Amino acid sequence: MGLITKVKEQVPCTVEVSHRFESLHAHVRFNNGAVVHPGDEVLVHGAPVMAAYGEVIVEDRTATITRASWLERQWTRLTGDLEFMELCEFSFSEEVTL
Amino acid sequence: MNAHNQPKHDTTHGELHAEMAEAFDTTAMATETTLLNPRFYTTDFDEMDRIDVTPVRAEWDKLLQQMKSDPNKGHFKKNADWDDVDWQGMDPALRAEFIDFLVSSCTAEFSGCVLYKEMKRRGTNADICELFSYMSRDEARHAGFINDALREAGVAVNLGFLTKAKKYTYFRPKFIYYATYLSEKIGYARYITIYRHLEAHPEHRFHPIFKWFREWCNDEFSHGEAFALLMRTDPKLTQSFANKLWIRFFLTAVYSTMWVRDHARVDFHNALGVDIDWYDQEVYRKTSTIARQVFPVELDIDHPRWIPGLRRMDAAMRDMDKAKRQGGIAGWINHKTASARAALAFAGLYLIPVKHMTPPANVRLEPSY
Repeated sequence: MGLITKVKEQVPCTVEVSHRFESLHAHVRFNNGAVVHPGDEVLVHGAPVMAAYGEVIVEDRTATITRASWLERQWTRLTGDLEFMELCEFSFSEEVTL
Repeated sequence: MNAHNQPKHDTTHGELHAEMAEAFDTTAMATETTLLNPRFYTTDFDEMDRIDVTPVRAEWDKLLQQMKSDPNKGHFKKNADWDDVDWQGMDPALRAEFIDFLVSSCTAEFSGCVLYKEMKRRGTNADICELFSYMSRDEARHAGFINDALREAGVAVNLGFLTKAKKYTYFRPKFIYYATYLSEKIGYARYITIYRHLEAHPEHRFHPIFKWFREWCNDEFSHGEAFALLMRTDPKLTQSFANKLWIRFFLTAVYSTMWVRDHARVDFHNALGVDIDWYDQEVYRKTSTIARQVFPVELDIDHPRWIPGLRRMDAAMRDMDKAKRQGGIAGWINHKTASARAALAFAGLYLIPVKHMTPPANVRLEPSY
């Protein structure tokens, strides 16, 4: 990992998108066991996975993980906590007027 | 958990809306598309793997057994109680606020599902992984249920975010415990308060989804129980001087944000026949009573400076919004001034003396409201 340089990695992944009444979810799993660290960015290649209502789509794709530089990783670790309000649920969006 | 509806990284909402609207929507009735845009988090997974639930083993096993048995499995189904909704006849302002409620709630459940699933996948600690798999299951189920209500309203939810670049931010585990514990318990208090209110005033129930709130919030309640037990595995998390200040900070931030957001949704609460001041105080009261199970401090919501402080915060946030719309140099100055007022109001609320509590030996609670 460079101090300020970023490294890109191509990894095979499986995406699963469920657009059903019983479960609405979407997940990406890296098939080679790659692990995402603070500040890394993940881009799944290809067209958007569009599950129609009632459908579950499981597809093998390729993803690019752009590794954060050392500096960015430290920065994300230090400042990520400050965004904690995103973990909380308030029933309504933050827009004051709709 | 709150996630943004607005994609942050590479496309604007509008572009994506145009790009997706046709490709995605297969139901003829859908008139608008909302992109779900959950945030992605990492945490210190090694620290979470080291959690040892031995000190609370008996209670832990009991709770996990209950979650495993999945008491709400059959609950989230539409039955005869799901009466027709007159979306066309609904007042447009109410409709806008109610859709905002559904989309925000759906996004929150969805983000919870992503976060919990990630924790389950990354962890190696069998106790923790089992817990997160049940919670992820519940959140995905809730999201599916809300999504169905949105479909009826002609709003299609778009899951195309996976192929957009996603940056992973970071939270220390204890921040996740405090925030999600509070979020789950406050969610319980919010839902049960509305449910009980509508039981007494069924004429205000303008949508059938409110009938499902009781069982729904029981899931939220048990998720909160799990985080309460997790916090009990390490006394420092709730007993150290610094962490007590953090807890106080979380309580103030979450309570005041709730006040501001609820007061911005006047039509929604009018339709329910709910006085927002009363409702918020009632939710704080229930949440604070429940939180005595684990938090060593409690905010004094009957303090004479409490409500005036919340009102100042609300007014400052409204002025910030106005200034943002105004734009230009004057708008910038007004925005800064209003931000400073909001910060001062927050500091004023934070500094109201708290009540000190000694959490009971036995952590577990059952939903009783």
